[in-house]
Amino acid sequence: MGDAQLTLSLRSTHVVFASLLAFTVAMLASTKNALAVPSFARQTGFACEACHTVFPELTPFGRQFKLNGYLVDNLPQIKDVTSENQEALLLNWLPPLSLQFVTSYTKFKTALPDPNGGLSQNGTVQFPEQASLFYAGRIAPKLGAFIQLTYSNSSNQFGWDNTDIRFADQTALAKEKLAWGLTFNNAPTVQDVWNSTPAWKYPFAQTSSIAPLPSPALTGLVPVTQLDGIGNGTVAGLGAYGYWNDLVYFEVGGYGAAPHGVSAPLNSQFTGEVVSGLAPYWRVAIEPKWGRQSIEVGLVGFADQIVPQGLNVQSGPTNRYIDLAFDAQYQYIGDDNIMSAELTYIYEKQSLNATLPMDPSNTLKTFRLGGSYFYRRQWGGSLGYFSTAGNTNAALYPGTSTGTPNTAGWAAELDYLPWLNVKLAIQYTFYNKFDGAQSNYNGTGRNAFANNTLYLYAWFAF
Amino acid sequence: MKINFSAALAALCALGVSDAKGENDRSAERMATRVCAMCHGPDGDSISPTFPRLAGQSAQYVEAQLKSFRDRTRADPPAMAYMWGMAAQLDDATIKGLATFYASREAQAVSHRPSPALELGKEIYERGLPANGVPPCGSCHGAAARGNATVPRLAGQHPEYLFKQLAFFKAKLRGNDPVMAAVCAEMTDEQMRTVAAYASSRQAK
Repeated sequence: MGDAQLTLSLRSTHVVFASLLAFTVAMLASTKNALAVPSFARQTGFACEACHTVFPELTPFGRQFKLNGYLVDNLPQIKDVTSENQEALLLNWLPPLSLQFVTSYTKFKTALPDPNGGLSQNGTVQFPEQASLFYAGRIAPKLGAFIQLTYSNSSNQFGWDNTDIRFADQTALAKEKLAWGLTFNNAPTVQDVWNSTPAWKYPFAQTSSIAPLPSPALTGLVPVTQLDGIGNGTVAGLGAYGYWNDLVYFEVGGYGAAPHGVSAPLNSQFTGEVVSGLAPYWRVAIEPKWGRQSIEVGLVGFADQIVPQGLNVQSGPTNRYIDLAFDAQYQYIGDDNIMSAELTYIYEKQSLNATLPMDPSNTLKTFRLGGSYFYRRQWGGSLGYFSTAGNTNAALYPGTSTGTPNTAGWAAELDYLPWLNVKLAIQYTFYNKFDGAQSNYNGTGRNAFANNTLYLYAWFAF
Repeated sequence: MKINFSAALAALCALGVSDAKGENDRSAERMATRVCAMCHGPDGDSISPTFPRLAGQSAQYVEAQLKSFRDRTRADPPAMAYMWGMAAQLDDATIKGLATFYASREAQAVSHRPSPALELGKEIYERGLPANGVPPCGSCHGAAARGNATVPRLAGQHPEYLFKQLAFFKAKLRGNDPVMAAVCAEMTDEQMRTVAAYASSRQAK
């Protein structure tokens, strides 16, 4: 096929996709709300709106549901008891399974550079961009699980995604209720119940998986803080938490290396980055509520040591990271109008003794502020600002023209939810700065705004 | 010694029934404080007006509503979203236990500032809207709005919640009470808001 034919074919594909999306929007615009039925809805009988304003943002009830171990159950149960009448088994008659499917179209203001020169194809359809299988719900009398397996288009395989298995119970402390529990999860903040922490950040929980990433630092890692960047499939953590008087949350725990795809105990043959030793994690938050409004203000602390790629995981030097995060969330949940705002600030102190022993002390700061509004959970939109900034260090950031990792910009999104479990969205990301510069950030004349990203996506959960 | 087996059997049965009732009440209380409390508050004193306050509510009324959720004859949107699922597996004994628990909690007052709207609400509550066929609310709910048997307590309830219920009755979305549907049929939104505010403002105890 010649270039002209290929271009025509690609354009036709885009026109057909855009037409289908427009047709779908037009058809669905005439429909009315119905109930959504993913895993938790199947188990509890609650509609999505009980736990979510708009997925994945949790309502106060959704937070309670998670903190209490995903245990509320309104399905017939398979039961067993001991001779002392203690519950020995409590299983849902049917497993609370569900699927999530995201398909998308991504186009950059200027096509991304091709590694072999020139420009890459611009305008990419991903079908699916990602697809997830969930088991989410009660698995024993006081034990619940949220388990997500996700197929990613870019890797063309299923991988282990967010996982949180928790034991939960209630007691009294100072005459007030204390919901407490243990959480076994696979990344810091996966277990958190507010959407101002990284794992379940909102708005802009869904962004294009092919959007350009900042150039890797000399450490081999993309310059984002550990709380933002440490991924599922690299660590496992255990934490103990309490939520007192529906007001004060506290948690302490730790993470250790648990890399996937390793068939033997870690040894000198392992060449990837790996967390060394115990990585402590703590969290405190307070959430006063009045009427339909709530405000959360909290802190997160996390510290880890990483053996960079290629060094001996047993005896090699480590890079040390200490993260301290401040987060806040406001929600107003009315019958018709829903508003929320989330703020995240993460300060990271780095001691890169393995990668840059002559100049180890560096800092990285992440700031995100976003707000969203929805009318009757059907029409809505979000606006947000994001920024990652660090000190100047040309040796640490060799892929940048300024020696800084600074990337910042704005994002806006318009959403239409014909039903609670279907979202059609148009998102635009505008970059003020990329890889430390506004213009010519990569030394070949490319400007930050060339990476501006138009992202159309359709999200289905069922 | 001669044993009266019939009397002994009756006593044992009574003891059994009493124990079962106690167990039911404890189980219902546990459910109320651990599960229902997530929305309705630990003592039935919810914060968000999306969820009604249940403290001090008539036991018969709570029992009737829970059964309505269970058999899906109460079908307003929040009922479908939350309570259809929540009530699906409740048996009659648990429903009775929950109703007893909430009736035993102390109703709390809602603070209201004096306003012309409250005065208008008082007028409707006490005299009705004869031209529109709306009877005085107090004739069923009582002058103090504390309800009676199957008629719910309104005093101390969230005013927004009361307004939404009146709107649901009018729109026939809440179809488990034909009397209230008829009462609200000719009421305007403003009239429903003011009377909801007045009823809510009555002394809770």
